[in-house]
Order: sequence, then C-alpha cells, then structure tokens
Amino acid sequence: MSIQMNEVYKAFGDVRVLEGFSLEVEEGETLVVLGRSGSGKSVMLKHIVGLLLPDKGNVWVDGQQISNLPTKELYLLRRKVGYVFQFAALFDSMSVAENVGMGLERMKEFSREEIRDRVEECLTLVGLEGLSDRFPAELSGGQKKRAGIARAIAIRPKYLLYDEPTTGLDPLTKAVIDRLILRMNRELGVTGVVITHDMESAYRVGDRIAMLYGGRRRFLGTPDELRSTTDGVVKGFVEGRPELLENAS
Amino acid sequence: MNRTREALVGLVIVVAAVVTAVGVLWLQGATWGRPQVEMEAVFDEVGLVRSGNAVKLRGVQVGRVREITVDPAGDLVRVRFRIDEGVTLPDQPVVVLSPESLFGDWQAEIHPRTRFPRVRFPEPREADVLPGHALPDISQLTAAADEISETMLVLTERVGIAFSEDTAENIASLIDNIEDVTTQLATLVEQQAASFTEVTDDLRQATQGIGSAANQARVTLERVDGLLARDEVESTLQDLAGLTANLRGLSAEMDGTNREFRELAAQVESTFAKVEGMLEVVEAGDGSLGRLLHDPGMAEEMEGAVTELQLLLADIRENPRRYVRLSIF
Amino acid sequence: MTERILAPFSTIGRRAVALAAGIGRWGMLTAETFRSLRHVDVWGRLLLQQMAKIGLDSVPIAVFIAIFTGIVLSLQASYTFTGAVPLYFVGVLVGKTMMLELGPVLTGLALSGRVGANIAAEIGTMRVTEQIDALETMAYPPVAYLVLPRVLAGIIMFPVVTALAIAVGIGSGWLTALQLLDMSTPEFVRGLTLFFEPFDVTFAFIKATSFGFVVTTIGCLFGFHTRGGAEGVGTSTTQAVVVSSMSILVLDAFWAVTLL
Repeated sequence: MSIQMNEVYKAFGDVRVLEGFSLEVEEGETLVVLGRSGSGKSVMLKHIVGLLLPDKGNVWVDGQQISNLPTKELYLLRRKVGYVFQFAALFDSMSVAENVGMGLERMKEFSREEIRDRVEECLTLVGLEGLSDRFPAELSGGQKKRAGIARAIAIRPKYLLYDEPTTGLDPLTKAVIDRLILRMNRELGVTGVVITHDMESAYRVGDRIAMLYGGRRRFLGTPDELRSTTDGVVKGFVEGRPELLENAS
Repeated sequence: MNRTREALVGLVIVVAAVVTAVGVLWLQGATWGRPQVEMEAVFDEVGLVRSGNAVKLRGVQVGRVREITVDPAGDLVRVRFRIDEGVTLPDQPVVVLSPESLFGDWQAEIHPRTRFPRVRFPEPREADVLPGHALPDISQLTAAADEISETMLVLTERVGIAFSEDTAENIASLIDNIEDVTTQLATLVEQQAASFTEVTDDLRQATQGIGSAANQARVTLERVDGLLARDEVESTLQDLAGLTANLRGLSAEMDGTNREFRELAAQVESTFAKVEGMLEVVEAGDGSLGRLLHDPGMAEEMEGAVTELQLLLADIRENPRRYVRLSIF
Repeated sequence: MTERILAPFSTIGRRAVALAAGIGRWGMLTAETFRSLRHVDVWGRLLLQQMAKIGLDSVPIAVFIAIFTGIVLSLQASYTFTGAVPLYFVGVLVGKTMMLELGPVLTGLALSGRVGANIAAEIGTMRVTEQIDALETMAYPPVAYLVLPRVLAGIIMFPVVTALAIAVGIGSGWLTALQLLDMSTPEFVRGLTLFFEPFDVTFAFIKATSFGFVVTTIGCLFGFHTRGGAEGVGTSTTQAVVVSSMSILVLDAFWAVTLL
C-alpha cells in the first residue's frame, strides 16, 4: 500500500474537479491513469506530492497522511517522490546539469563531485549524455522531457509521478520515453503513476490502468481487462468513439 | 553569477556608502581635520537658528552652530558651536543671532558687548559660556512697524479733526501766555523765598491757599489738556492770570520765613521749573504745535507736575513741622 | 430594471472585495516571506545574484534619470527665481528636491518598471510552466527560493541605487548651474548646505527602502498568482508595474505626512 487516495474531493471555486476519487497503487507497479483533457488527472497527481491538498478525503503516501504532515516532514517525504512535469518545468536560468542536480543539492548529503557524477549518470540513462551544459531553451521538446525525467530520478526516488510524459512528442520519442519509464520500473524498482490520454503508451507501460471520469474513478484493471471492458464511457475513450461515450453518459 | 558581477555589486554598495557618508559630512560642514574649538552661549530664545548655521566674526564665517538645547532649568537655551582654532574673540564677546538673509536662514555673530549697550543679555552661570541675544526677526519687526503705523494713523486723524486754523492760533497765544505766567510764578516764588523771614500764624491758611491755587492750576492744565475739544482758550488764560494773582496775594500774607520753608519754596520752584521746562519744549521745534502733538507724554507730564505739587502741599498740611519749625524761643 | 440600478454598486462591491483580497494575499505573502528567513540555506546563495540583477543592473537607468532630473531642476529653479530670489537658492532647491523627493521617487518608479516587471514576468512564467511546483517537489520552499532573495535584494539595493542617483542628480544640477547659469561653486554649495539636515538623507533612505520592499513584494505577488499562460504573464506584469508605481506614490505621501 504505497500510495492511497480515499474519497478525495477537490474544487476550485465553483469548478468541482475531484468528487470522491479513490486509488490504490501497489508497491513496484506502474499504474496508468487515463482521462480526458481537463478531467482532473494533473490535479489528482498533485495531491500525491502535496502540491494540492484535498478539500475532503485523504491521501496516504509511504504510510504518511499528506494533509496532516508538517512542512518539514512533507519536504522529507518529497525526497522519495520524483515528479515529471508535463512540460518538464526545467528552470530556464540553469543549465541542464544544474537542473538535474538541484534536488540532490537540496538534500545536502552529497559532495560536488558526487552530484556531478550522479547527474552525468542520470543524463546517460535518459540519453542526454554530453548535453549537460546546454540550457533548457536550447533543447527540443523530447530532450526537455527526458531532462525532466533525469531530474526526477536523480534523487533516486521510491515513487515516480509522470504528468503526460509522451504528449506532443513524435512516435519515436514517445517510444523512447515509454521505454525509459519501463526501465525505471524494472531496473530501479520504482513505483510509478503515469497520467496520460495516449492509449498506446498506456498499454506499453501500465501494469494496471485506471480511468478518471467525472471526478471519480470509472475503471481500474489490467490492460487486458481494459480491452475487454463493456463500460461505454471507458470503451468510448479507449477506442476514440465519442458516440459510445455520449450514449453511456 | 561570475566573480566580476559579484565584485561589481560590492563596488556599487561601497561607492554608495562612501558617497552618502562623505556627502552628509560635507553638507553638515565637516572641517576635515581643521582644528576647531567648541564653545557655548546662552540665550533667552534663539529665533530661527538651527544647527549648521554659520558662526561669523566681523562678517567672516569662522564656524558653525552644532547643537541647540533648552537648558534643563528651562529658562535658557544653550547653543553649542565650533569655531576655527586661533580665532581671537573681541573683549567681552557676546553672540548675537540674526537673520542672514530675508529667506529664513540665520547666523550667529560674535560681537563685543559694547556694541549692544541697550540689550539685556542673560548672564551665564559658567565662566566660559558666552551671553547671547537673538535679534527680532523680520516678522516681529514688521509687526512692530504695523503697530506704530496704526497709532500714527489714529493720531493723524485726531489732529485732523481738532486743529483748525483758529485753534492753532489760540494755542500759540496760550503758550506765550503760559510762558508769561510761569515766569511770573518763578519770580514770585523767588520773592516769597526771600521774604519769608518769619513764621506766620496763618501758615495753615497759607498752605491751604497754595493748595487751592494748585487745584486751580490743575484745573487750568486739565483745560489745556482738553483744549483740543473745548474751545476755551480765553477763559483758561483768565484762570491762569487769576492763579498768579492768588499766589501773589498769598505771598503778601506770608510775611514770615524760616529755613525749612525755604526748602519748601525750592521744591515748589523746581516744580514750576518743570512746568517751565515743559513749556520750553512746547516752544521749541517747528512752531511748537507739531511738537506738542508728537509728544503724547506731554500732557501727562504736565499733569504729573501738578500732582506732585498737590502731594507736596498735602504733605505740608499734614506735617507742617517737617517744613516749618516754630521758633518762639 | 433593478439589475441596471444595482450594476454599478455590484461593480464597486466586487472591486472592493478584490482589493481587500489582494491586500490580504500581499499580507500573507509578506508574512510568509519573513517566516522564510529561517531557510538561509535556500536563499543565502541567491541573494547576491538578485542584488546584482535588481541593484547593479538598475544603476545605469537610475543614473540616467538622475542626470536629467538634476539639469532640469537647476534650470527651472533659476527660471522661477528670476530676480526675486538670490540664485544660490538653486542649490537649495536642487539639493532638497533630489534628496527628499525626486531621488527616491523617480528611482523607485523607474525600478518599479524595471525590477517589478522583471520579477512579475519571471515568477509568473515559472508559475505557468510549473517551475514553482517543480521547486516544491524538490523540497525547495518557493517563497524562500524566489521571493525572499528578491525582497531582500530590493531592500538592500534600492537605497544604494537611490544614494547614487541623488549624488549624480545633485552633481549634474551643480554642473548645470556652473555652466549654464553663471553661478559659482561656492554659491551653489552655499545653497546646498544652507538648509541641509542629516535627516534629509535618513528620509531618502527610509523611502528607498520601503519602495524596494513594496516593488519586490508586489512583483512577487503578481508573479505568484499568475494564471493562464503567456497572456496571464503579460497581465501580471502590467498589473505589477501599475500597482507598485501607485504604491510608491501613496507611500511617498504617507512618509511625507508621518515623518516631516
């Protein structure tokens, strides 16, 4: 029971985003959360690192309840969680290496050399070796995403959260990223949560797949179960058939 | 963040700090090591002087005012100032505060005390503290001038109302007459003083006579006073003539004299002399009229002289022995 | 009909609520900024960088403005004083005005444009591109990392830049008086020192410090609450400049009322 969300409600003003969303992520698995754009996937993911706090319900990560955590311990917990942002969210004023090393520097456990080695290692892992002195503005979209992943994995997190890692990339880069996610899971034993609306990726990386719809979880199951679902909403989304979705809802 | 930028930040801060420090010191009039001595002066009040104002000696700036504090006792203001070392101060130096220009900036000037004989300086308790005085500033002077001009205005108006051609002539002749009367009075008194060789029995009566004469004189002078209003110059002159006659008769009655009475006579004489002096003053100047009008104290002085005379007579009446000693033996 | 009558009132009401909410958010950010002082490890090494950016880089514009202010003050003073007032009062006017008013305020306004806009745009962009979230996930307190170094740099560097501006302004006024007004240096200096009080400098520093604080906190506030992509960043930047400029003028009046 590594990550658990129980009946989470979240609204921004009048806009209710999550309305009793629940999810359990098993240790060591990669869980994909599907959902339409604007369905609240990112909001859900931000609850896991405490960037957002639930209006109602609770979120447990690594045995600790996020909303009750004092700031200091929340920061300690965040060292176990890597977060890959949708548009990488690299710091423009810093080089790739500085970006990747930032989390390590904050931990104050490593010497300058150790950080440099670890950064190089992570960049190699995501295939960006030799680009450490570049600035984010000089990278392509795919490179940025990979740099974002390198930054997330640099702190050797126990959990990795991916916010639409493959959106807007060409098929080849997508495949590279998907493989990266799998490698993280297989080689580093990382528990992952991937939110996406890209079905190809979802099937490739997901051990289990969930779907967020109308602020609640509409589906949870293996990829095979997803393929054979009879729920019109889920089927309509997966197969890209709006008419199914309309009929079901 | 390279080294050069770091150094530049530091440099900018240092430059700003130095500019500020030097600027403040300079504008405050730092002497940059020129030796100065600190002095102190006390004042009743200091006008608009502030720290930083110039201290001058013979018009040359020799220092600056440093600090102004009210003395704990509350009756003085202490002003500390620094002047260049080696400046020789005048004898009995005093500090006089005055406006340096018409724009509100003041200065402290060191002068010899003798230049301000009429100014009352506060006396400092300590030996090395100078006495000081703040001259009235322009606003106070303006206020005073205002008051004076107002009085002048009132006076001029009154003169305009009271003086016609006729009254002027009347007064002129009155003054001539008064002079005559006074001369008569004076000679009379002299005569009396000479002829009072014995004490008379009716000294009391005599003094009463003098008393009523004085009263008459008073009435007369009051009339002079009121002359501007009442056109009675003629009767006034008659009164004066009567008074003179009275006194003359009185002197005839008093055929005795002694030393004390001589003193009395002298006093009476001096009183009349005063009246005379006053009349001389009236006489002097441009035809005397203008002078009379410009000296508002004149009427008062005349009245005062009469009052003095009356008091003297009252005294004689009550303590005749002080003036007249009976020498029966 | 009723709606049409009520419309202006509801507008006023909405504006008032928005203003109060804005002041509240500013207060909370300010409080959080001071609480973040304990994270020295986070903001410490960023401070110098921000001092360079906010202070050092602002020196040229501040000096440029000061030079021309000094020239104009000098010339206009002599124009106004013609005949009636002795010319050394040009020195009084240049000195007093530069120190008490124009030095701090013009520098503050120039820097509210330069620094306030820069901060709002930078932090706003970081907000909409989730860089601030990224900071959080890497356990960097965003206020300590982004706001505090800028606010401290503003508090430290605004007075520094202002001091230089005042000195340069007085200097240019002096040169103008010398070259164009046929005044002599002693004359100008006499005016300069005539009514000088050390408090004038203190007053300028109080103003500059408060302007630095206000411009940086308002820039950070609007940056932090940026929403909606590039357009949101543009809006925040504009608002930051407008609000911080207005705050400078209000604060200027406030200090004049309370301290003079």
